[in-house]
Parts: sequence; structure tokens; C-alpha cells
Amino acid sequence: MKLLRLVGVGFSMALRRSVAFRINLFFDVLLAFTGLGTAIAAVLIVFTRADSLAGWSKAEFLVLIGTYQLITGLRATFVDPNLAWFPETGIRNGKLDGYLLQPASSLFLASLSLSSPLALIQFVLGGVVLGWGIGATDRPPSLAGVLSWLVLVVAGLVVTWALSVLLACLAFWAPKLQLDVFYHSAWQLGRYPTDVFTRPIRVLLTYVFPMALIASIPSAALLRGPRLAPVLAGVAAAGGTAALAALAWRAGLKRYTGATS
Amino acid sequence: MRTAVLLGFRLRQEVLAWSGAWWFLATLTVQAVVAPLIGLFVWSAVYPDDPAIARYYIVVILVTLMTESFEQHTFSNQIYDGTLSHELLRPQPVVIGVIGMNLATRIWLTFLGAPVVVLAGISLRAGFDWAAVLRSAPYIVPAGVLVFLWTFLLSLTAFWTDKVHSIVGFGSQLIFLLGGTAAPIALLPEAWRRVAEVLPFYGMIGLPADLAAGTRSTGSLGYQLAWIAVLGSAVTISWRIGVRRYTAVGS
Repeated sequence: MKLLRLVGVGFSMALRRSVAFRINLFFDVLLAFTGLGTAIAAVLIVFTRADSLAGWSKAEFLVLIGTYQLITGLRATFVDPNLAWFPETGIRNGKLDGYLLQPASSLFLASLSLSSPLALIQFVLGGVVLGWGIGATDRPPSLAGVLSWLVLVVAGLVVTWALSVLLACLAFWAPKLQLDVFYHSAWQLGRYPTDVFTRPIRVLLTYVFPMALIASIPSAALLRGPRLAPVLAGVAAAGGTAALAALAWRAGLKRYTGATS
Repeated sequence: MRTAVLLGFRLRQEVLAWSGAWWFLATLTVQAVVAPLIGLFVWSAVYPDDPAIARYYIVVILVTLMTESFEQHTFSNQIYDGTLSHELLRPQPVVIGVIGMNLATRIWLTFLGAPVVVLAGISLRAGFDWAAVLRSAPYIVPAGVLVFLWTFLLSLTAFWTDKVHSIVGFGSQLIFLLGGTAAPIALLPEAWRRVAEVLPFYGMIGLPADLAAGTRSTGSLGYQLAWIAVLGSAVTISWRIGVRRYTAVGS
């Protein structure tokens, strides 16, 4: 509860700071629209040449892009402002020292205390595209499908946060290792169903670096009805990666000796 | 001649400076190849029996690596943190430093990304017609110049705004969509294709790739050179107006 209040206060402060700069607000809104527009356009071009892609129809693709955008928006709002460039800001510049002195979990403070409210525009736009896709499908999703989609989206969010923490934790051992650009690049793969890729990449995106959980698996559950195995696997992946992230953070902190030492 | 010598020195200096950041350069390489790789998989799924798709996207990967530009990071940040003042005080044009760094990163990205290109070519049995590849070579340098001018032009907006990354991001989206990465422009709907053929973005990526893949037999260097003239003029004018506005940090 205390942590939620902290998130709320931080979000409120960040929102007031953001709306004070109107030019920035304009560009953020513009870029959110054009970014999503470009993604949709790239897919619509494909559907001028084919009726389906790797077994996914145009409407199903829109649902997938909408789901991807929802999670991307939440990541950009709550996770990226904290963990993007953590090796530089957190370790090399010593911001982590400040978190360690505060009376709250250092993992929470380092990974979730800051937010970027304007990025929620992406979340809203994702919702619009999701609604568009659902409206364009032949049959509406069942209640069980919606519930399993919700569970899988939450699992995807947890995995997203945990992967960011795990990448940040690498900085405790290799402070010059900056994998943020790599993570953002790999993230692009989540915008497409894993069926599009060849088998080795598909296996990699499902089991090793689970980008499939970001959009592909939740969208399939929403549109094609729930299946127990993917839902259980999603929950297990969320629990497993979150536990691993917490362990890695603790191990990293034991090694950390301050920015100036 | 003096400019060429200065550029040579700067290029050597930057190549050596970046050699210490090879891991970061590797992540930039991954970033550069992801979008064309996705295009390769998507369009190969649509046209599984067409080897021209694989050939086209393999060249797109290579051209992207050879033309990547990051002036929003390497140049605009100098405006934001005031270190542009150091460059302005040197007895040489500021653009020499910008071009030197641009070429150095391109050399490193091409070197690090070459294995991906070779691997993709072998595993997909792309079967290039080497005469077509040779015919495409003269179009790569103008393509690189166009990408540089476009990115540098957008990076110059740092003189007026503090959202240069968003502005350059928007410019990159145009290259992605209309330059031939999202789809070969021959596959775009008719109206889009006509627009794409006129705008400069096709000359940045798609034109050399189409020529090398053999999906187009002739190109127009004149089209690329005309856009170089337009973008070059826009850069010159923007630089002159922008640098007058620049007052250095702290003043």
C-alpha cells in the first residue's frame, strides 16, 4: 500500500512537470501517433498483398498490435524512466547511492519510483487499436478469452519489468555494459506473431527471451479462446523471472560498493 | 585538399576512439539490422517462393549498416551541453568533425554487421547476380550522403527545440515506411509507390537494394543527386540561422 502511494505521488509530480512544457507535450503526442501509425501502415501494406500472414488475419494483427502497444505504453511510462541507461545513471553516476539511503525497497525505488506520464498516450492509442481489431474480427472474444488475455497481459508486464531489472543488474558486474539499445531492438520483434519467424528464432522468442508473451500469446488467447497451458506457462514465466530479478538485484547489491569507491 | 586531409585525420581519430566501445557498437548493429530482418521474415512469409525478396532484404541490411547516421546523439548533444563551442573555436569547419564521426560509426557497424549479411546470404541461398550488385555500387555513396543530410538536417533542430530525438525519430519512420524497409516499394499500393519514388527516402535504402537484388535494372543517379542538392542547401541554410541563435551554455 505504501509503495502504491509512493508510485501515485511520483506519478502526480511527474505529470505536473510534463504538462508545464507544452512543446514537449506536442512532440510526444505527435510521435506516439506517428510511431503507431507507421507500425499499422507496415502491416496494412502486407495485407494489400495477402489475406493472412502466418495464419493471422488483418483484424487479428490489429489486436496483436493493440496489445503490444498497451504493454509498450506501460513499460515506457513506469519502467523505462527508471531502468533505461541504469548502468550509467544508476551505477556510474551513483544515483543508486541515494536510493540505498531511503526508507523503502531499493529495488522498488530503482525500478518503479519514477514515471513518464506522457508515455501513457501510447497506452491509450493501443486501447483504440485493440478495440478496432476486436470490432473487425468475425466473432467477438469470449469472456474466458478476455480473462485469459488479462492474466497474460499482466504476466507480460511482470516479465517486461523483470527483464529490465535483470539487464540493469548486469551493470553490477560490468558497469560499462549498456544493453538498453539491444533490449529496445529485441522489443520490436514482439510486434509480430512468433509464427512469422523461422524455428530457431521462434524458440528463442518463446522460451529464452519471451517476447511472445508481450503480444502474441495474449492476443491468441483473446481471439482463439483460452488454453490452459499458455496461461499457466505465462504465470510461471512471470513468477520465475520476477524471482530471478529479485535474486539478481540482491546479489548485485552485495557487490556494489558505491559510485566513488 | 586541406579539408580532405583534416577529414582523414578526424576519421582515423574517431575510428580509434570508437574501437574502445565495440560492445556498444554491437548493440547499435543489432538495432540497425532488426527492422530489415523483420521485413525479410514478413515478406518471405508472404512470398515464400520468391528468392528476390531474400536478396532484396539482405542488401537492405547491408545498406542500412553502411548509411546509419546518429547526428541526434553525436551532434545535437553538443548543442544541448554547450560543447559545440569547442568545435566552433577550432580553425576548421564544424561539419568535418560530424562527418568524421559519422563515417567512423558506419565503418564499425558495417564491419560488425557483415557476418549477419554473409550468414543470411548463405543460409537463404540468395544467389546474387554479381553484375547487378556491381551496377548498384555507385548508388550507395549518394544513398549514404542522403541519409546523413536528412539526419543532420533534423538534428539541427536542436538549435530551436529540446525534442530532437523525437524529430529525428519521426524522420526515421519516414525512411522506414517510404524508403523500402517496411516493404519493397514495388509492393506498395500504387498511390504510395508514386509518392515514394519522388521523395528522397527511396534513394536512401531501396534504390541500391532493388538494383543489387535485380528487381530493377536501371536507376537514376540524377534523382539522388537532385535530392542531395536540396537537402544540402537546407542544411546550409539551417546551420547558418541556427548557429546565429546559438549562445553557448551559461551565457
